[in-house]
Amino acid sequence: MTPAIVTAALGKRYGPVTAVEGLDLRVEPGEVFGFLGPNGAGKTTTIRILLGLLQPSSGSAEVLGRPVGTAGTAVRSAIGYLPGELSLWPDFTGLRTLTFLEALTRQVAVDRDVLLERLGLRTSELRRPVRTYSDGMKQKLGLVQALQCRPRLVFLDEPTKGLDPLVQRAFYDIIRDTRAHGATVFFSSHVLPEVERVCDRVAILRAGRLVAAGTIEDVMQSQRRRVRATFTSPVDTSSAERFGKLIVRSDRSIELLVARGDVPAVVRHLSSWPLEDVIIEPLSLEDAFLEHYR
Amino acid sequence: MPLIPIAVAVGLFEFILTRIAPAPNEVSWITTLFTTLPPEIRTLLGSDVALSSGGFLALGYTHPFFIALQVVWVVRTSSAAVADEVGRGTMDLLATRPVARWHFIAAGMTALGLGLGVILAAGLAGTAVGLFLRPLDVHVSAFLPVAGAAWLLFAAWGAVGLAIGASRRTGGQAISWTTAILAASFVLDYIARLWAPVARLRPLSLFRYYEPQAILAFGLSRAALLTLGGTILAGVLAGLLVLYRRDL
Repeated sequence: MTPAIVTAALGKRYGPVTAVEGLDLRVEPGEVFGFLGPNGAGKTTTIRILLGLLQPSSGSAEVLGRPVGTAGTAVRSAIGYLPGELSLWPDFTGLRTLTFLEALTRQVAVDRDVLLERLGLRTSELRRPVRTYSDGMKQKLGLVQALQCRPRLVFLDEPTKGLDPLVQRAFYDIIRDTRAHGATVFFSSHVLPEVERVCDRVAILRAGRLVAAGTIEDVMQSQRRRVRATFTSPVDTSSAERFGKLIVRSDRSIELLVARGDVPAVVRHLSSWPLEDVIIEPLSLEDAFLEHYR
Repeated sequence: MPLIPIAVAVGLFEFILTRIAPAPNEVSWITTLFTTLPPEIRTLLGSDVALSSGGFLALGYTHPFFIALQVVWVVRTSSAAVADEVGRGTMDLLATRPVARWHFIAAGMTALGLGLGVILAAGLAGTAVGLFLRPLDVHVSAFLPVAGAAWLLFAAWGAVGLAIGASRRTGGQAISWTTAILAASFVLDYIARLWAPVARLRPLSLFRYYEPQAILAFGLSRAALLTLGGTILAGVLAGLLVLYRRDL
C-alpha cells in the first residue's frame, strides 16, 4: 500500500542555519502519527515542506503518492491542514471562512455540521466576523476547516492550543473517528500525554534530525529503565552510582536511570543489600522525550 | 481604499473639469493666460491645454489627483495578491488547497484589470455626463483611446507590483517597494521633461508612454502600446517565476 507520507534524506537550510537534515520518515495510511520536538526542532518546517509551502534544500518527499511541491497541487483536495500559527480573514464570518475554504478544496464539507456540534461552535457564532472570536473559537474554526471535507490526510500543528479541557476531549474523540474513517493524521504537539493518548506511532526530532521513531511502546522501551530501591536499614549506596545516572540517593533509598542491558547487574548488586522493595519501569514518553534533550 | 469611492472620485473629478473647461469662444483667453505661465509649467501642462476644450479635458487624465487615485488601487491590489496573504499568514490556508500558484497572479491581475476598468469607466462617465450638460467642441468618444492608454499604463504598474509582491514577505514591504519605484519613475518623467540633460532618460519611465493630449491628437503610438503591453507581460511572467521558486 502506498504510504501516506514518505521522506528520504529530507533537508531544509536557511543560509547557514539547518532547520531539517537527513529526515527519513514513513507514515502509513490510517495511522495517527505524532511528531514531537521542542521549539525550533524543525517540526513546522517539515510539515510546511510536506504541504508544498517550502521547497526542500535536499532529499525528497511524497505525500499520498505524489511528490511534494507545486507538482502535488492536485492531491491537496484530499489534505487538511491546521497551521500552528492560525491566521484567518478578520472580516469574514466564521461561516464564510468555512464555505470559502470548502470551495477552494473542491470537496463537499460532509463533516462540517458534526464537527461544529462536537466542538461547540454555535450557528449564531458562525454569523459573527472572525475578528470578534476568542483564540479558542478561532482554533475550533481552524479544526473544522481542516477536517470538514473528510480529508485522507490531515496535518495538525499544535491542534489543542487554546482549547479548554472539555473541548480537548471532544477533539481526541474526533481524531479517533477520523482514523476510523481511514484517514491519516500527522500530529505535531508539545503535550506528551495527549500524544500518548491518540497516537499510534511517534517520531522525535532534535535540532532538525530524527532521534527516535516507532510506536510509543518502542520509543519508551528503547530508553533507559528507572530503577527505584528502598532498604530496611541504612546502607552506603554510593557504589551503585556506577550503573547509571543517579536521580535520588539516601541511606535508605536510591533511584537510578539504567541502560536496559545493565538492569540484571543492578538487581544483583542491590540484592546484596537489605532490600525492602525494588521497582523497575520504563520511562514515560515524557521522560523518553526529555532524555533526548538533556 | 475600496474601489467604489475611488471610481466615484475619478468620475466627479472628470465631471468637474467639463464645468471649468474653456468653451470654444474662450480658448483665446486661456491662450493668453497660458503664455503668462513659466515655461516649465507650460511644458508640464502641454500646449494643447490652451488650444482646445479637448486638450483641457485631457489634462484631467494626467492630473496628479487622477494618477494618485489609480496608484492607490494599483498598489493596494497588487500587494494583496501574494505578499499581504503571506504576511498575514492566511496564505497557509490558501496555498495548501488544490490551487496552483499561478492562480494567485491571475486572480491579482484580473482584480487589478477589472478595477481599473471600473475606475476609468467612471472617469469616462463623468466626462460624458459633463459634456451632455455642457456641450463643448469634443465628443466623449475621443477619450476612449486615452482611457485605454491609462488602463495599459496602470495595468503595467500593477504587473510590476505583482512581481514585487510575489517576492516579498509582507504587504507593507510590497507597497513600499512598488510605491517607491512608481514615484521614482514619475519624478524621472517630470524632471526629464523640464531639464534637457536628463531628457534622454525619459524613455526609461513608463509615464513617458502615457500622454493624453498626444493620444487625443494622434492616437496611441505603437511604441507606447508595445512598451506598456510588454511591461504587463514581463511583470506577470516575473511574478510567476518568483512565486513558483519561493518559499511561502
